Amino acid sequence: MESSLKDKVAIIGIGCTKFGDNFDQSYEDMAAEAVFQALDDAKIDAARIDAGWLGTFSPGQGYGKASVSLADAIKMYDKPLTRVENYCATGTDAFRNAAFSVAAGIYDIVLVLGVEKLKDRPARGLASEGNHLYQHEGSTAPGLFALAATRYFEEFKIGRKPLAQVAVKNHHNGTLNPKAHFQMEVTEEQVLKAPMVAYPFGLFDCCPTTDGAAAAILCRADMAKQFRDDYVLVKGLGLAVNTGRPWFMPGHRFTGFPVTQAAAHQAYEMAAIKDPLKEIDLAEVHDCFTWTEISNYEDLGFCKKGEGANFISEGRSRLEGDLPVNPSGGLKSSGHPIGASGVRMIYEITTHLREQAGARQVKNARLGLAHNLGGLGAVACVVVLGQP
Amino acid sequence: MVGITDYSTYLPSYRIARDMIAQQWGTKSLGGIKAVANYDQDALTMAFEVAWNMVERDDTTLSHDGLYFASTTAPYWQRASSSFIAAACDLPDEIEAIDFGGSLRAGMSALRAALNAVVAGANQKVIVAVADVRDGAPESLEEQQFGDGAAALCIGKEGVIAELIAHGSRSDAFLDEWRRDKDSAVSSLGSRYTLERGYIANTVTIGKHILELARLNSIDIAHVALSSPDGRAHITAAKKLGFDPARLLEVPIADGGLTGVPLPITLLCQALDRAKPGDFVLTIGHGDGADAVLFRVTDQKPKVSRIPASASPLNIPTYSIFRKQRDFNRTATEEGGVMSNVTLEQEERQNVRLHATRCQKCNTVQFPITMVCVHCHNRSGLDEVRMRRRGTVFTFTKDYLYNAPVSPVGVGVIELDDGARFYCQLTDIDTEAIEIGQKVQLTLRRLRDGGRMHHYYWKCRPLAVTEVRSNQK
Repeated sequence: MESSLKDKVAIIGIGCTKFGDNFDQSYEDMAAEAVFQALDDAKIDAARIDAGWLGTFSPGQGYGKASVSLADAIKMYDKPLTRVENYCATGTDAFRNAAFSVAAGIYDIVLVLGVEKLKDRPARGLASEGNHLYQHEGSTAPGLFALAATRYFEEFKIGRKPLAQVAVKNHHNGTLNPKAHFQMEVTEEQVLKAPMVAYPFGLFDCCPTTDGAAAAILCRADMAKQFRDDYVLVKGLGLAVNTGRPWFMPGHRFTGFPVTQAAAHQAYEMAAIKDPLKEIDLAEVHDCFTWTEISNYEDLGFCKKGEGANFISEGRSRLEGDLPVNPSGGLKSSGHPIGASGVRMIYEITTHLREQAGARQVKNARLGLAHNLGGLGAVACVVVLGQP
Repeated sequence: MVGITDYSTYLPSYRIARDMIAQQWGTKSLGGIKAVANYDQDALTMAFEVAWNMVERDDTTLSHDGLYFASTTAPYWQRASSSFIAAACDLPDEIEAIDFGGSLRAGMSALRAALNAVVAGANQKVIVAVADVRDGAPESLEEQQFGDGAAALCIGKEGVIAELIAHGSRSDAFLDEWRRDKDSAVSSLGSRYTLERGYIANTVTIGKHILELARLNSIDIAHVALSSPDGRAHITAAKKLGFDPARLLEVPIADGGLTGVPLPITLLCQALDRAKPGDFVLTIGHGDGADAVLFRVTDQKPKVSRIPASASPLNIPTYSIFRKQRDFNRTATEEGGVMSNVTLEQEERQNVRLHATRCQKCNTVQFPITMVCVHCHNRSGLDEVRMRRRGTVFTFTKDYLYNAPVSPVGVGVIELDDGARFYCQLTDIDTEAIEIGQKVQLTLRRLRDGGRMHHYYWKCRPLAVTEVRSNQK
């Protein structure tokens, strides 16, 4: 059972590039930078790595759909490297599989890398890649999440204002995070008046397309002290997959994400969390769109379904609130290089648990949660990390 | 008895005032408005609209065994529109599908072919679906005159609304109006001589011939449906044939335009809609000669109109948007991938015929076709069924990132009347007016071009109030 995994795997090194328009860096440059930062952070040499997991949605030109872009970036050859791809939950799922290998006693020290180079692509963003050419021709990520938001508006009688409050909060947190894509405050009025992308989402309701890479070094918990005192333990993991085409699902309600609820349930069981609002000190959640964060509050059990708008309006998810959400600025400010995002969240939580987060440090951070959501509720992955 | 068993017409939703076109060029306006196909429509999709109209409300057991399509603006030089329309109407593969073209009277030729086939006993029930999306060159008179539209008839032996009395055809190689293989706009030699030697001579000659065949006088004809090259000359032709102008169907130049191939069939449908049992209806279509058909209305004629009211018209606000809509499919880059014909074939039943799966255990209707019930996970006893094509908007967005001539594009999840969900664009709609719960009808549209192919798929459009009460499959 997965529940045997709690406290068996430690994070001993983390690395993360600046997220942004990294026009001066290639896919390989970013991958190498993140991995070497993590190795330096753990004070180990690449030769000590037993195995690696690469989370990436679209490897750089010429690499194809394999793990070779990790091997070539750091010249790590003849080792067991695996590529993981699971929509936007790619990064956390790569981490999850790496943790399994350590918990199972197969490997002692493993590497996780999440990397994505979205700004090298000819089209803007993730224009309809992999869509069915008829059944969802031309559909866009904002357009799909907007379907859910419109339905949520109808059922819970909210407007765009709470969504704007999420943008204001996450933009503010981004100004405190030097690695975030955006360091820029926005006002509620600016968010509400921005050009529409896909109703009800305006420009500031959407996360940007971004380049970035993040890495983590994991080892057996009983070895962690050899490397550092402030290591972090994996407390819980959860992954759930649901339909990739909820728009065809008879009776589907669109007002939340059962995959997040299922993944959180698994992770909370493993971590023995009964009351997430009280027990969790900070969370990095998948705010691909502002409304998604509101649904995440509910699906992760921070509040009841339909109360997410109050959760933001009452300031409970702000840095000084009772459960700070997205202290990094979230996908909204950090950006969303698909495969890198989940590992970047793990980097962020680890930084807070080590009390190294500087101006955005969440006080008394002992237990943190990272959450990825892929597709319109197709895949969700939840990782709970804690101090030893 | 052989004749018309059903009829229908279609006018696209968009309208542009001719004053706006005239103002653009500094020319004289013909006045009135013209009906304009949306950017995702062509002759194939508009002919589908009218053909499906009849298939949808047909509650007899006898299946259609012919689908004749006619147009001068078919989307392919080689690839039958009729075969695709038949598939989209979910008609059996044994159907005889034929494309007619090459002349403005192609629709009348298709009608005569259908009548001959049923009279000869070769076919039992044939749909004649005709449509045109004609372009006049920018600044030309035709740009103002032409309108887009479609019409359809069903020809058979049972439930005949209008019985065939006589029909005839004449051929004439006289040059009056044409479009070469490489032209997109129609050319014509507009002159008094052209009208008299071309249109009027042919129309009058064939009209007299039919009256002689039927041993009738002009006074006996209750409704005269004459196609027209300009919206006026048919009045002259009618006078020469001795018809009372009051019995002449009005060519809808003020509210529509000269639709080309569908024009005489549309007028015939309008005549049938107002005719009484026993009335004679004469239809003449011109083009490289002329075709004429004379019907007598029977007492089987339905009391309610068979012509669906179109949804509220949408006014095109500027000439440049009209041009953009008009040229979008011609000028749009052929972006995006292409499905192999293996996939196209595997998915034809769902993507073209709109079949879905119904679970015998829990009755859930689900799209796309599946091996395992999405609701109860049952994997034995799943039936392939025809999905309903009407429903309501469950949720929607207005997407500004779509590649379309006018932004935003409405996209929605539709709850169909059988509970299945369908995801598609909302078309022919004012995006500001989209609402959850709105009634819609699935409609075949040209989705995009790619790989040197036109790609047709389903969108939905608002359902007109009068459509709500008619039968549906």
